[in-house]
Amino acid sequence: MKGIISISTEFLGKKTKSPLVLPAGIMGMTWSGMKFVVENGCGIITSKSLTLELRTGHPGPVIAEFEGGMLNCMGLCNPGIIDGLQEINDFKVLMPEVPVIASVFATKAEDFEELARHVNDSEADFIELNLSCPNVMDEFGMPLAGSIDMVKDITSRVKAISKLPVITKLSPNVTGLDGIALAAQNAGADALCMINTLGPGMLIDIDMVKPVLSNRTGGLSGACVKPIALRAVYEAYSRVKIPIIGTGGVESGSDAVEMLMSGAALVGVGSAVYQGGIGIFEKINQGIRDYMAKYKYNSIDQIPRLEKLDGEA
Amino acid sequence: MVKRNTIPIAEIVEESATLRTFYFQHDLKASPGQFIMLTDFEQGEKPFSISECEAGRFGVTIKKLGKFTSNLWEKKAGNLLSFRGAYGSSFSLQGKRCLLIGGGYATPPLYFLSKELMRKGANITLVNGARTKEDLVFCSRFEELELMYKKITDAGCFGRAGTSVDIARELLTENEYDIVYVSGPELMMKAMRDLLAEYPGLEYEFLFERYMKCAIGICGNCTIDPLGIRLCVEGPVLARDQVEQLTEFGEYHRNAAGTKEYFK
Repeated sequence: MKGIISISTEFLGKKTKSPLVLPAGIMGMTWSGMKFVVENGCGIITSKSLTLELRTGHPGPVIAEFEGGMLNCMGLCNPGIIDGLQEINDFKVLMPEVPVIASVFATKAEDFEELARHVNDSEADFIELNLSCPNVMDEFGMPLAGSIDMVKDITSRVKAISKLPVITKLSPNVTGLDGIALAAQNAGADALCMINTLGPGMLIDIDMVKPVLSNRTGGLSGACVKPIALRAVYEAYSRVKIPIIGTGGVESGSDAVEMLMSGAALVGVGSAVYQGGIGIFEKINQGIRDYMAKYKYNSIDQIPRLEKLDGEA
Repeated sequence: MVKRNTIPIAEIVEESATLRTFYFQHDLKASPGQFIMLTDFEQGEKPFSISECEAGRFGVTIKKLGKFTSNLWEKKAGNLLSFRGAYGSSFSLQGKRCLLIGGGYATPPLYFLSKELMRKGANITLVNGARTKEDLVFCSRFEELELMYKKITDAGCFGRAGTSVDIARELLTENEYDIVYVSGPELMMKAMRDLLAEYPGLEYEFLFERYMKCAIGICGNCTIDPLGIRLCVEGPVLARDQVEQLTEFGEYHRNAAGTKEYFK
C-alpha cells in the first residue's frame, strides 16, 4: 500500500511535495543552497531574512552548542533586499514549482512596507515578516512581536500593499502568544510561522571566563525547544483559523507528526540540518510516511490534529 | 555535538615574518584537509586548515592579514585560545603515486597530507610555488620528508621563474600519477583544473577556501554554485566530479553578507 501514501500538500494555494519548510536563517542565502536543500527533500524554502541594506551579521563565535541544542547569534547577515531577491529569482528559474517564502526584517512599519514593495516585484510566492529575531536587541531593542500593537500595525500595513500572501513570524518570548497570533490574523495575516528561537540564552566558556558568543547572547534552538514550540503552535491553532508553519526542535518523523498534531499545516526543519546533516529532510519525510502507513493514512490531512482548546473543533 | 576546547597555546613557531604555526597539545581527531574554527573571544572566529596533527598535538599555520591575526600575533605560548572542530571533508588518501601541488600560503595542509600519505606507503612528488622566496612556506619541513620536492617562484628565486602549475604540467607529461592533490589560491587552482582537463581519467582533489561563519552547515554562507553544497560540510576538499561542475570557481565568492565578490 506504500505507493498511495503521499506527503504532498497545499499551502495557501501552492502545491508542495513535502510539508517540510526550510525556515529563515538556515541555508537560504544562495540560489544553489536553496536548490541543494530541495534536492534533499525539503518542500518549501524560506530565504534569509532580508533587510533594506546588507548586513554582515555579528562576528564569531556565532554558534554555541550544548547537549540539548544550540545558541546562535548570526545577526541577520544577508546581502540586502535587492541581491537577496535576485538569489530567489535565480532559484525560481531552476525550480519554478517550488514555493519560496521571502523573509524580511526591519524595525519599523515603513521599512517593512518598502521591503514588501520589493518582494512584490520578485518571483517569491509568499512574504514572511520576521518580527521576532532575538539576536539584534542591542541594536534594535525588543523584538516587535512582543507588542500586540506593532504586530497588528505592521501586518495590516504590509497586507494592504502586498501582492503576495503574508506570513507573520512570531516570537515565543512573550506572554499571551495566542492573543498575538489572533491579532496577526485579524490584521490580515494569511498564515503564521512560529516559533522563532527562544531566549536569548547565554553560555559561558569557563576557561576563558567569557560568554561563548561574541554577542554574549543568542537564540535558543534544537531539540530542547520542541515542547515549547508544540505548546505555542497548539495554543495559537486553538485561536486562529489561518494555517501555521510550526517550527522548533523537529528532528525526526515522529517530531514532525507531533508538530502536525499540534495544529501546524507545515513543519519547519532548521537546526536539525546540523545534527542530522542534509539527509535530515528525506529522513523526516520517510518518518512521516512510515507513521501514515502504520495508521493507513494516504494524505497529510488525514493525520489527526488535537482537539482545540476550549473544545473548538 | 562538537565540544569547544579552550586550552593554552603549546608552542608558536615563526615560519616567516608574517607566518606562524600555533601548536596545541590536544588529541584532535582530524584528517588532512579538515579545519578548525579558532577564536580568541576578542576579534571573532576564523577557520584554519590543520597543517600538522600527530602524537596528541596539532598545529595550524596562519598568515598575518587583518585584525584577527594582529591580535593573534600578540599571543604567547601559554596564552589561552579556543577552538572547535575538526570540521569538513578531507583528502581521500588514495593512490600510490601522488602528485601534490601547493601554492603560496595554502600549502601547509599538504604537509599534514604528505605525512599521512607516507604512513600509507605512498610515493609523493610535491610542488611548492609562491610569488617570492619569502612567500614560499614550509620549505625546510618538506625537505626533511622522504619525497620528491620541487620549489619555484614567480620571481625566479631558485633559477627558474614560474608557477607550481608550470611544474605540474611538465610532471604530468613525463610521469604517471594515480591522483593529484591541490591546495592553493583560487586562480592557481583554476589553472590546475584547466590543466587537469587534459587528463580525463586522472583523479584529483582540491582544497577550497570560502568565507565561513557557522562551520556546521546551517548558515549557508559557504555554499558554492551551482551545486549548493556547503564547503564547511561537503567541502572544503572536493573531488574531480564536483570540481568540474563548479561555475563560481575562479569567478566569484560570497562575502560575510552573502554579496558576490568577483576575483580579479
